[in-house]
Amino acid sequence: MTRILGVLGLLVALYAALASSDPNAGRPDNLMSVANLQGRYGVITLGAALVIIVGGIDLSIGAVVGCSAVLFGVLMNEGVHPFAAVPAVALFGATVGLINGLLITRLKLQPFLVTLCGMFVYRGVARLLGGTIGQASVIERHPEFKDAIRTLRYLFIGKSPTDGDLLFPAQFVILLVLAAVVGFFIRRTAYGRYWYAIGHSELAAKYAGVNVNRQRVAIYTVCSALAAVTGVLLFLDAPSVQSDNAGNAYELYAILGAVLGGCSLRGGEGTAVGMVLGAMVLPVLENLVTFQGAKSDVIPLVIGATLLFGAIVDELIRGRSRVHR
Amino acid sequence: MLRSLRLSVVPCLAVALACVPACSKKSDRIKIGVVTNCTAEFWSFAEAGANKAARDYDVDLQFRQLDKAFDASAQTPIIDSWVKQGLNGIAVSVIDPQNQTEDLTRVAKKVPLVTMDNDADQTGRLCYIGINNYEAGRAVGRIVKKELPKGGTVAVFIGNTKSANGKARTQGVLDELAGQKDAAGTAAAHPARPDLKGKQFGPYFLVDGEAKEDGDPSNAQAIAAAVLGRVKGIPDVCCVGLYAYNPPAILEEARSKSMLKDVKIVGFDENWDTLKGIANGEIVATVVQDPFMYGYRSVEALAAKARGDDSKLVKEPVSYRIVTQHGGPDETVNGMVVKYPKVADFESKLREDLASVKK
Repeated sequence: MTRILGVLGLLVALYAALASSDPNAGRPDNLMSVANLQGRYGVITLGAALVIIVGGIDLSIGAVVGCSAVLFGVLMNEGVHPFAAVPAVALFGATVGLINGLLITRLKLQPFLVTLCGMFVYRGVARLLGGTIGQASVIERHPEFKDAIRTLRYLFIGKSPTDGDLLFPAQFVILLVLAAVVGFFIRRTAYGRYWYAIGHSELAAKYAGVNVNRQRVAIYTVCSALAAVTGVLLFLDAPSVQSDNAGNAYELYAILGAVLGGCSLRGGEGTAVGMVLGAMVLPVLENLVTFQGAKSDVIPLVIGATLLFGAIVDELIRGRSRVHR
Repeated sequence: MLRSLRLSVVPCLAVALACVPACSKKSDRIKIGVVTNCTAEFWSFAEAGANKAARDYDVDLQFRQLDKAFDASAQTPIIDSWVKQGLNGIAVSVIDPQNQTEDLTRVAKKVPLVTMDNDADQTGRLCYIGINNYEAGRAVGRIVKKELPKGGTVAVFIGNTKSANGKARTQGVLDELAGQKDAAGTAAAHPARPDLKGKQFGPYFLVDGEAKEDGDPSNAQAIAAAVLGRVKGIPDVCCVGLYAYNPPAILEEARSKSMLKDVKIVGFDENWDTLKGIANGEIVATVVQDPFMYGYRSVEALAAKARGDDSKLVKEPVSYRIVTQHGGPDETVNGMVVKYPKVADFESKLREDLASVKK
């Protein structure tokens, strides 16, 4: 519980500041927009957090998000039905994760190095696949896909099939469902205990009979598959995605969300609730600075300083909690 | 102690965040938002103009330079927040007109919308504040032709080839070089360097047959370096930079490769380094748009609209100008008067404009 107190306090403070910044900031339509972005960041945070729990890191998340978003558009442009393109993209993501996992476990390469190289590779693949692609350009080429794309947008994003107005924060609902699944696995199954054990001490987990390599490969596969799903969400939510920058810095948002949510970069720590709360911080902070009318020049400073302050307070609370125990 | 720490942190942070430097929040004042397509010096000029108009017309201004260059998915949430905030007007430099049309149409139904620098004319926006990018591209082409009258090798650099302004500028340059409309060029190998592939547009060989797209200012120098390395030793080379940050990137790399005397550089937009390059005779000329005025007129038009006055809406494209070392007499091209300011005069006017506004 102490693990999530810091992030919970930070979120309460942010929402309080947002509500006081402008009379319209606390209206449901604005909160739904924020929740939708929280959902998108949250899906990648779940993957990043699982990798961090087993003592790894995945820097290729943003590139996989971008590559998957572009791939989703390109597949539809090439005539693949949108309903078939979604699982195809998820499969692509899982394959990326499988490759990452195998390189890390079989060739004993550093996760940092493997996924850093992956970041360049998948950004390059995105650029090879295409430049800028969006729903309107796909629909112009394949008018028969219009209804399917609009249906997917309604189901995954919550936007009206007619004019694109946001009706409900579907991405946040997706995050909650996925977080429940992750929470079930890490708290109620043997796999969760394996993952915490691997993160605490790989050697001890091995001696306890855990197939460390297999578990690690599975986690990296899940992480990249979630990144690919996020790519689909990005494509369906954004006007267009560009191969050069779609998903840029998403890996940092994911890692930030995981760490703010109580995951230790040393591994072996983290909860599903914490992951969700951690992922909620950045979108509400971004919305707050927009409503504040903050000048462009001070926005990065405000965001960085707030996150740092939150992290310091979190550490103080946890440190004191450890002393009191 | 622990409990009091927990209890005190939340309100302290909330108060601190509420004190973030922000524009004034008097509810009776008109609120206008301006969002760009990237962060660049070009947009700092526009921001200065917008701030001046905000002061002149008593407006609360939110000016956002986009952190993620040319990323429509990053621009949309900012615009959506402003719509929800109930701003009285929004000005947008559109990144991807085709794919943003649906979202911007929805915005235009709720809030007065103007486009600037880059248009999306199917959105129901009130007006477009910017130059005719195709004609400005042709002006660049004319400068290249003047510098290389017998033909030569041309490399074109740009931030984004998919945006409306990127497409129009590039096509304008190529059409002027080819001497025909909608020129597609003919695939060819360079006559003096067969390993160099590209396309022929009339007597001009375009390196790689397309504009070199960098996608982000931070990539511009590396791309210029690579191209300059490939054309080194070839006579009659001209490098064209079509986004504000491209000409300085080309200049820096030409300087570092000792190619300043071998390469003609033609620029686009005002940038201090570009202007300095022109003053030093290292850059031939730059076609400028007047971003200060984009910012000013965007806020002016939206402020007037909010007060029920449509007279400030811009009806015609803004004229481009061509800045050269020594300036020159006005010219009429396709019915539009084109001015040729001297770089020193242009720079001092720009500094004067910026000095008139507190950042």
